[in-house]
Amino acid sequence: MGFLLIVLTLLMQWEIYVAGVIFLFAVSSFIVAAFLILLGISRPQEGYLLFILAGLTLVIRGVIIPVIMNKALNRLYEKPWRVREDKPMLGVGGSILLSLILIIVGYFIYQNSLYEVLKIRSGSVPFALFLQASLLIISRRHAYIQMMGFLVMENAVVMLSGWVFSGLPFIVEAGAILDLLGLVVVSSLIIRVRENAISQEGDIYESELRG
Amino acid sequence: MNAHIVYLLPLICSFSGAVLSAIPVLYLERIVSVLASHLAFFAVIYLLFQPEYISDYFYIDGLSKLLMLAIAMVYISTVLYSLAYLKHIKNPLFQSRLYYFLLNVFASTMFFSVSMDNVGLIWVGVEATTVSSALLVATENDQVTVEAAWRYVIIVSTGLVISLIATTFIYGSSGTLSFHALMLNHPDNRVFLIGILLGLIGFGTKAGIFPMHTWLPDVHGKAPAPVSAIFSGVLLPVALYAMARLVQIYPVAVIRTFALILGILTVIVAALMMTVQNNYKRMFAYSSMENMGMILVGFSLGGYGLLGAVIIILSHGLAKSAVFFLTGDVLAAYHTTEMDGVTGLMRRMPRTASALFLAAMAVTGAPPFATFAGELFIFSALIAKYGWVLALVVMLFLSIAFIAVNFRTGKMIFTGHEEMSKHAGRIETWVPVINLLLSLLPLLFIPYFEQLLHKFLVP
Repeated sequence: MGFLLIVLTLLMQWEIYVAGVIFLFAVSSFIVAAFLILLGISRPQEGYLLFILAGLTLVIRGVIIPVIMNKALNRLYEKPWRVREDKPMLGVGGSILLSLILIIVGYFIYQNSLYEVLKIRSGSVPFALFLQASLLIISRRHAYIQMMGFLVMENAVVMLSGWVFSGLPFIVEAGAILDLLGLVVVSSLIIRVRENAISQEGDIYESELRG
Repeated sequence: MNAHIVYLLPLICSFSGAVLSAIPVLYLERIVSVLASHLAFFAVIYLLFQPEYISDYFYIDGLSKLLMLAIAMVYISTVLYSLAYLKHIKNPLFQSRLYYFLLNVFASTMFFSVSMDNVGLIWVGVEATTVSSALLVATENDQVTVEAAWRYVIIVSTGLVISLIATTFIYGSSGTLSFHALMLNHPDNRVFLIGILLGLIGFGTKAGIFPMHTWLPDVHGKAPAPVSAIFSGVLLPVALYAMARLVQIYPVAVIRTFALILGILTVIVAALMMTVQNNYKRMFAYSSMENMGMILVGFSLGGYGLLGAVIIILSHGLAKSAVFFLTGDVLAAYHTTEMDGVTGLMRRMPRTASALFLAAMAVTGAPPFATFAGELFIFSALIAKYGWVLALVVMLFLSIAFIAVNFRTGKMIFTGHEEMSKHAGRIETWVPVINLLLSLLPLLFIPYFEQLLHKFLVP
């Protein structure tokens, strides 16, 4: 599953259409939810909390957040399926190559710092995901894709807390999901205003937000 | 009724204010916000004289109470200043009802963050401050402010993911996220150590600590004056509070040194950046960053360094909010944030100019303001622990910051001899004047703060 998530994030680096990235994020959230269900089955001592968390992940990260993002995209553009990243900082080839390098870096950082203590061989997966998501934020200019990068990062933390450690207290997980939902709603509004302003006036902010 | 509910009153008052502000009745949101902020303030004053409260979810000790006091004072002044300031915004992004709703929610999330006994719930609170305040940054609804709001959301949220990872590490290694449990007993292994270090980096992003500070000048430079004021005055210290708690639960040399280095680098970078600014709001934003660096140095040193840090939080909170309110007056009169475009402030707006001159002195640690006393405490702790050389380096950069801010502010106030029509004094200018006067008060209460922070001061 961790391998699948990494492949999905690699696909996100490849994808230039915003709607495609949102779809890939929804798929990756479904995988995280499935992972939590499997974890719940394998750790019956943790009771039903992992199943509730899986349900919340499925509904909020897998359905509600992608729906909100898609709706925001539909309101802003006449042909939302054709909205794409026009000015990536890195080309597709470059970002995939860098992603692969980051997976290796994540693996080495984990093996040389935490593996000795945690003894979980595949524990480097969430770290690799986190680094890839950071690259997605840094390498793209489109706000929706940056937001998706942030959400992938959050998915990496869910993987980390469930897989490597045995989850966070339920109240903290629930609070984090609520925060995430609020953040997506607020971000969608800000992005809409931002994209509207850019489409009308062009990028005029650079000189005022420098130094 | 549970007697402990009094500890939640500031949170309840501000949150109720938010809920009632959402009701669509003319002027209701303003009346409710004024009432909510005042009630929250009186509740905090009452709390100051109550014993510590530690339960499964809450940890309210002297440090939390003083942070609540700072939040309550800046909350009141922000609401009062907003009453007049919002009228000057030509094309607001939303109705004033939503502005006050978000402002009250923002205050309640800050009260929540400094009351929790759980690292994870503090994270939830600090992240909630981002959610509630992001739209406030974009109130003025132009492309630059919206861009600043977006940078704020994406940079701060990404930084806070690092502290969520830290929370996972701390919980994974210790089995608890409770402060009081961790202070009594915590593991001494690499996972826990990495967790605390990552927590410092993550919360440091929100506090504007170098090298994660890049959102801070953008937001402070472009947000409306009352929003910049509450950000600088109390939002940054709330994030620093989380860092202080992390240092407190694992006060080993590595953690303290790491926090100290981050603090000193923040002071150095902020001081250097201040010298090249031509935008007065960005310059004061870097001044906030410099003060946050000093506060972090104080927290990392502990003992009387921590007392100094708390004095700076209270005094700087009031003085810096005064500065940003006054920059709102200046912007309304001159329609520019470029320093070159502002001359003859003393002739044109004497009350604003005099207050700005003194407030700039206060935020740069000039005597007799309480920030000076706070810095003295921090320096005495720094010299005692690390000797004179490091202290002199920090003093040098504080001096650079002092000269940069006061020289440039003085230039705006005293230069320009052309005839200018005098602006009629604005009623809202009294809010920063009062804040400025209040920023002197912490000096009188140092013995009381010492008593409140007693457990931090005894070795």
